[in-house]
Amino acid sequence: MRVLVVEDDPVVGRDLYKALSDVGFTVDLSTDGEDAWFQGEVEDYALAVLDLGLPRLDGLSVLRKWRSAGRTFPVLILSARSDWTEKVEGIQSGADDYLSKPFAMGELVARVRSLVRRAAGHATSAITIGRLALDTARMAATVDGQPVRLSVLEYRLLDLLAHRPGQFVTATEIAEHLHGTAHAGDTNGIEALVLRLRRKVGAGIVESQRNFGYTLAGA
Amino acid sequence: MIRDSLRLRLLAGAAVAIFVALALAGAAMGWFFENHIEQREAAALIRHGKLIAGNLRVDAAGKPVLDTEPGDDRYQEAASGLYWQLSNVRGSAHSHSLWDQSLPALADQDRDGWRLRHAPGPFGKTLLIVGRPIQVSHGDEPVLVQVATDDAPLRIARADFNTEIIFSLGILWLFLVTATYVQVGLGLRPLRVVRNQLAALRRNSAARLPATHPREIAPLAEAINALADAREVDLARSRTRAGDLAHSLKTPLAAMSAQSRRAREAGAVEAADGLDQAIVSMRATLETELARARAAAARDAGQSRAADIETLIENIITVVERTEHGERVLFEVSLGEDLDIPVAADDLIELLGALIENASRHARTRVRVTGQMEESAATIRIDDDGPGLGNTSAEAVLARGARLDEAGPGHGLGLAIVNDLMQATDGTILLAASPLGGLQAQLTWPVDPIAPSAHKNWITRWLTRN
Repeated sequence: MRVLVVEDDPVVGRDLYKALSDVGFTVDLSTDGEDAWFQGEVEDYALAVLDLGLPRLDGLSVLRKWRSAGRTFPVLILSARSDWTEKVEGIQSGADDYLSKPFAMGELVARVRSLVRRAAGHATSAITIGRLALDTARMAATVDGQPVRLSVLEYRLLDLLAHRPGQFVTATEIAEHLHGTAHAGDTNGIEALVLRLRRKVGAGIVESQRNFGYTLAGA
Repeated sequence: MIRDSLRLRLLAGAAVAIFVALALAGAAMGWFFENHIEQREAAALIRHGKLIAGNLRVDAAGKPVLDTEPGDDRYQEAASGLYWQLSNVRGSAHSHSLWDQSLPALADQDRDGWRLRHAPGPFGKTLLIVGRPIQVSHGDEPVLVQVATDDAPLRIARADFNTEIIFSLGILWLFLVTATYVQVGLGLRPLRVVRNQLAALRRNSAARLPATHPREIAPLAEAINALADAREVDLARSRTRAGDLAHSLKTPLAAMSAQSRRAREAGAVEAADGLDQAIVSMRATLETELARARAAAARDAGQSRAADIETLIENIITVVERTEHGERVLFEVSLGEDLDIPVAADDLIELLGALIENASRHARTRVRVTGQMEESAATIRIDDDGPGLGNTSAEAVLARGARLDEAGPGHGLGLAIVNDLMQATDGTILLAASPLGGLQAQLTWPVDPIAPSAHKNWITRWLTRN
């Protein structure tokens, strides 16, 4: 499995190269922004680890260029800065995770593995219900063909509803599905989750009926 | 007191200047008045003198004689205050009113024309005397004709006039000083407007003074705006520098971690341990300094409104949802529409980011963020349904920062910044048991604090309101 590591510091770059190679990845190392942009556009990577402070073209610009060129591989951002403004900017530019320097190599490897697993886990399959389409392989959703960025819980809620077409699923069932049986009694948060989800996917996708629960429109 | 109040200085200056001007005017008016009534009195005396001179003759012995006395009864009554006297070297004649006294002689008899003088006279009175030497016929000794009147009425009139003028001018002085007070107040009012606008500018570093000031104040407002612009640029530059510093130091730190790992793999475990300890302490120092730099910048706090705060929290949640802990947590956000927090968005995102991430790390299933205005405070609460504080008291936790310091490695600034930022923005943080079962972090900022100076007495405050 090929991953791209973009890091201009030779010591950190070598360390990343070694750590990821040790756990079985084929690693390409790029040391400046323009080269990284080119590599990401022409090669097919399972994931990229991207430093933000790069010579010639900064990391966020590289990420935006990849995303606007339709490159969807997961990207883990590395940054020396640890402020939230930059984290938010990174995630909004299309990053999938964020790690501040200096980081523990073990944590980086764990996160890379989790991202790769999430993206490449199962065989590609798509479920379409009304205006909503779910890509179960990438855990992604589109509404009217437009991609919607969902959190894991939001995706899992849609996934649950999609697998029970035409049925109302109670809040208790949803809580059990999301948190396991131990916390099934906590249904208070489900309403907030649906509210947040509705704000992201728009009205008329997730319907609810008092005392019955939730279902997807058009199923 | 006067030295530190512009209003008092202007007022005192005007009061003294007006007083001096009115005193000079009063003195001049008194002099003119005195001169005027004296001239009138003198003219009356000269009229009498001319009548007397018309009826004057010299007898055989050369003594002056008056055949027909003037009709005024006061010439007949002793010490009446109106007298005439004729005199030459041979003898003299005078009115009955002079009784056995005489008028003082004129020092310089050679000069022609009526002459006016004040002189001490008989009966202990001061007199106003007019006198003129008259040549009755050719070859005779000239006769000095003098007519005098008691000048006490003149002095009384002058004193009455002075009393009245002092009283009127005093009232005029009070009126003018009051008018000055009002005028100074009106003149200084634009400064008060500027001061209020500056207070707004202090709350929000992005605000500027409007361009609606009088011509004299406009340059001041422009200068203040220019200063605010310059400061904002400096602030942005210092923040960028702090970020650059972090970058320049953190990458070498990451490189040192790599070296330490390599050393450990090569069997130099002790050296690696020492290196790791140094790295941890360097990183902690770096984070503390960065938090301080940010907190210092946060003193020039801005303002964040409900809609912006909600977007900001949603952005934080989008990031947290991607973390290992955050992806299994349900987030609820509920903010009052009137929520208004006196902290700039850049700083608020650091505060709430650290707290929401911390809450998600400890939560079982839920993190709730609520915010509203409560009486004179803006409040944000972050609740989780995690294990909470247990038996530990909130004070102990805050003092030690035990719970807050549980942030694992690799979480950046983490919670070191929360306390600093809360202090820098005059806010307070309170840890308590959450109704959700876990920990509640409550952030409170006082809204629109007023701080009147207590040590000044009321009159000084009243006089120095501007």
